[in-house]
Amino acid sequence: MAVEGEAGVPAVSASGRRRTRLDLTAPALLGFPVVWLVAFFLVPIAIVAAYSFDIYSLFPGKHGFTLAAWRAFLHSSVYLGLFWKSVKMSLIVSAVVVALAYPVAYYLALSGTKRKYVLLLVLIAPFLTSYLLRVLAWKVILGNEGVLNSFLVWVGVRSRDHPISQLLYSRFAVMLVLTYVWVPFVALPIFVSLESLDRRLLEAACDLGASRWQAFRRVTLPLSLPGVMAGFLFVFIPTVGEFVTPSLVGGTSGYMYGNQISDLFSTGFPDWETGSVLALFLLAVVAVLTAAFARFLQVRQVTAH
Amino acid sequence: MDVALSANGKRVLRIFFGLLVVFLYAPIAILLIFSFNNSELPTFPLSGFTLHWYHQFLTNADLKGALETSAVVAALSSVGAVLLGVLASVALARKRFAAKAAVSALLLSPLVIPYVVFGISLLLFFHAAGIPRSILTVAIGHIVISLPYTILVLVPRLDQIDVALEEAAADLGASPLQTFRLIVLPLILPAVVSAFLIAFTTSFDEYALASFVVGTRITFPVYLYSALRFPSQLPQVIAVAVVVMVLSLIVVVSAEIGRRVAERRLSL
Repeated sequence: MAVEGEAGVPAVSASGRRRTRLDLTAPALLGFPVVWLVAFFLVPIAIVAAYSFDIYSLFPGKHGFTLAAWRAFLHSSVYLGLFWKSVKMSLIVSAVVVALAYPVAYYLALSGTKRKYVLLLVLIAPFLTSYLLRVLAWKVILGNEGVLNSFLVWVGVRSRDHPISQLLYSRFAVMLVLTYVWVPFVALPIFVSLESLDRRLLEAACDLGASRWQAFRRVTLPLSLPGVMAGFLFVFIPTVGEFVTPSLVGGTSGYMYGNQISDLFSTGFPDWETGSVLALFLLAVVAVLTAAFARFLQVRQVTAH
Repeated sequence: MDVALSANGKRVLRIFFGLLVVFLYAPIAILLIFSFNNSELPTFPLSGFTLHWYHQFLTNADLKGALETSAVVAALSSVGAVLLGVLASVALARKRFAAKAAVSALLLSPLVIPYVVFGISLLLFFHAAGIPRSILTVAIGHIVISLPYTILVLVPRLDQIDVALEEAAADLGASPLQTFRLIVLPLILPAVVSAFLIAFTTSFDEYALASFVVGTRITFPVYLYSALRFPSQLPQVIAVAVVVMVLSLIVVVSAEIGRRVAERRLSL
């Protein structure tokens, strides 16, 4: 996202290469931010690793390096099954979000509408409001005694004794809410990639006899793929470890991997070792994905003016 | 002929855009309607207009306390994130140094960590370090997650500024600090303000991380989450929701507009 660098890192090369006489040295500038992230970001993750290998433990007693918790995790059908369930839910949500956002971004970027930036802001604005409150809205809407069911009863479509149950507290509710939450955000990278498309390429394709559909499939779509990939990852990465939405609207069938991690650390029956293994496994998956697709995560595109 | 869209295609997409906007705003509108509804339950038919829920939340001490706590945490963490972000951004935009790719990857990596993972990491870290959970532990975590956003706003702005201005200041005898204070800072000020607002709203709205490291003084999202479990509190929570949503929308949208206007003026 940050930038046009190969590794998805701010390649601030253009101006960085120019010689400047601003004589503050880079280490002095970077000292505080880097120390902060090492102390409060990397070290905490290292401590999680220490717990996962039982070097640290919540309980007193003798501790030493062991792979027991990792071995148990990798042989556990429960945890791995939950992980795949979350991956599947998250993949579906990401795909639906991209499918909804693409046509809208296409319309804004290529229809020639004059108010495209205003319309883009209209689209994105909900994303800038409170996450928890947007989830709350769906809880109010979907409940058995909620807005939707009471509306259906009121207009006489359903009887009071037979509301559409299973709207709330289901896998469906989790996926609906996650889709709702992420659509506005994903429209942005797709819009940026379509907006920067050179229209002359489309004209050339048409001059050479391509239909609109062919031009879209062979020119527009491939060229907008980086935005699509970025959008997909922007949804997939946060949703695969999601635990807030499922705990509010998911019930038992919407329970996700992130809930399991969270529950292993909450009061009741804490198991910090297993929880640490689960957390690190998720982190590893996300890190591999991020590294593999880093070139699509062009941060500067997202912040482009 | 329009090579991107036929007339019919344009019509279809316009309708699709309209439907999506309805999908996005209908839940917010429904909250707004039921915040004025004179009933304990958010159900149809509507049972009359009332300001009771707004009045109730204005007199709810717990809620006000949580809002105050969140304001303090957001102020602390946004100031911290912007200070660190300015330092890091100047280095990234103006300096060449070893391992630049690795350093920028580190600075941006909090963007992609699942909050549940970072939350438990901080929980274990503060536990191991013997630091009791408090307002400060939440602010520390929020600085980490806001820092990349401030960098993403500040670096592009620094890139737009002609380095010749800074060179000229140095040639005329300004010290590096003077150059920064008199030349760079005024030019990046709109971006600094918008970085501050992004960090502030991020912190104010953040639940996942805060839920792990919050102390006895709970923040607003943590309060909200627990209130969601008590149906009797639902109407006033909806009322607060409406107020907070409208305020945050106004702040963010006006900040974005203000930043663009200011930067346009500065670039003349």
